[in-house]
Amino acid sequence: MAVARYTLTELSRRRILLVFLIVGAAGLLLLGGGLRLIYQYQSSNPASLGPNSPATPADLNRLLELLFVSYLFGALGIFSEVIAFAIGMTAIYHDLDSGAAIGMFSKPVTRAAFAVGKIAAALIALVVIVGVLAVEARIVMALFGGGLEDALTGQVLAVVANTIVVMLIVLALTTWMNNIVAAVVAFIYYNVVTTVISALHTLTQQGVINNDAIKFVFSVAYWIIPHELTSSAVGDLVRAEMKVSTAAGSSQALSAIPPASGLGDIAWWAFVVVVFAGLVYYSVRRRQV
Amino acid sequence: MYSRGWFMVQSVLSVRDLRKRYRRSDPWAVDGVSFEVPAGQAFGLLGPNGAGKSTIVKIIAGLLRADAGSVSLFGSNPGDPAARARLGFAPEDPDFPKYLRAPELLDYFASLLGLDAADRGRRIPETLAFAGLQGEKRQVRHYSKGMKQRLGIAQAILGRPELLILDEPTADLDPLGRRDVRALIERLKQSGVAILLNSHLLSEVELVCDTVAIMAKGKVLKEGTMPEVVPQGKTLEDVFVELVEAAGAKREDVPSFIDERPSAQ
Repeated sequence: MAVARYTLTELSRRRILLVFLIVGAAGLLLLGGGLRLIYQYQSSNPASLGPNSPATPADLNRLLELLFVSYLFGALGIFSEVIAFAIGMTAIYHDLDSGAAIGMFSKPVTRAAFAVGKIAAALIALVVIVGVLAVEARIVMALFGGGLEDALTGQVLAVVANTIVVMLIVLALTTWMNNIVAAVVAFIYYNVVTTVISALHTLTQQGVINNDAIKFVFSVAYWIIPHELTSSAVGDLVRAEMKVSTAAGSSQALSAIPPASGLGDIAWWAFVVVVFAGLVYYSVRRRQV
Repeated sequence: MYSRGWFMVQSVLSVRDLRKRYRRSDPWAVDGVSFEVPAGQAFGLLGPNGAGKSTIVKIIAGLLRADAGSVSLFGSNPGDPAARARLGFAPEDPDFPKYLRAPELLDYFASLLGLDAADRGRRIPETLAFAGLQGEKRQVRHYSKGMKQRLGIAQAILGRPELLILDEPTADLDPLGRRDVRALIERLKQSGVAILLNSHLLSEVELVCDTVAIMAKGKVLKEGTMPEVVPQGKTLEDVFVELVEAAGAKREDVPSFIDERPSAQ
């Protein structure tokens, strides 16, 4: 408990996290406020509506809200990952690098308790920061009349779940190597290696690649990488856009959107989290200071 | 346990044939070191830089793993948290979570020591006062080396240890701070606390230690009580220099260019 409490105190005083929070919050306000201003202007000047504009100001309002939400989903993903990296790179590494861990590990605290405290603090910090941004996003959405709150909630949960995995990978790596190198390795592993393996696995499943050896390799590789959780939010968003936009996409576009993760995916995510949390513990336990 | 005259004295710390190297290709940092520290006595571990002193104290504190040999800390392995609860360790060049303030840091470490709220409320202000940090509002990252050293000693005594390891405790302290540390060691010894002092300041070691071991290149060259190690008419420094130089750890002479005088232009 003490490790988690004082790690949180430290994280709350790190300017870099505060800067990310302020930039994220200001970005959301500017985006939502800007789109709202466009709506105010267009609705007070109906003559300015173009031939491809929605039929009514209410439809325009809805379209701008959808635009805001689609940008929001992208921004939340990026911000969550950046914050996960910022927390993962510092929560354990600073104690090891500065020598502060010497004082802690000579106290009667087990390495397991230390690792659990650090992971708990990192998770709480990530959830709180992303949660604050999500609450703000929900308030901005209310300015447009709302209607996609459930999609936002689902997307936030998926984003947080995915970034927890990245953060645990970074936390584990920072006990072995420099934190910048750890971040680069984690980024390549999570954003490049897993994407390539997932894509090739999909191709083998769809029969595009028929070689049995390659199929076997990617079937195995697919189950040693984390699988990104997806919510139904993107699909909900596209369906809502198709309802209001005169330039809406076809149902083919809708079918290309990956479905929301099911129970099996969530169980695999939980397993991956346990494995990486275990790796953090193992790394801390093996670490000599 | 070890014998002294007719008595068997209980050691709080027993180190046996300890060996450690950091990489297979490296020479042994610690090479077959053995010693015991009984309760209420101060044991001085002396040696030049790189002699292996800090490696030994880190193994005792459970921070490093030995390659061979054993350490018995209150009869247990240093990995046992119950044994470490009775240990206080002030590391050389101490550092701390840098965004915390001194009272928060001591509260953090007191929590790790398992002290209850009442004990924390009583001990933390007194320890801060001892360290001269009672009014300090800044975060640790703004502290000078001397302030960090005082905080390092403060966190080491917070749990009222039965064995206190001080690794170069006065290196960054001013003369007043050094005097305070000497007085602290005397008080702790009187109350039965064992001290393991690792220091370059031989005059200080001579003042406070009952027993010393002089090391070089990972080995103990000489060990015994102060009168056994330092014969009449010699100082600890004389003995130290003789032993260390005989062990081949002599430093190079002063560079030749030091004697050159600037030529008049």
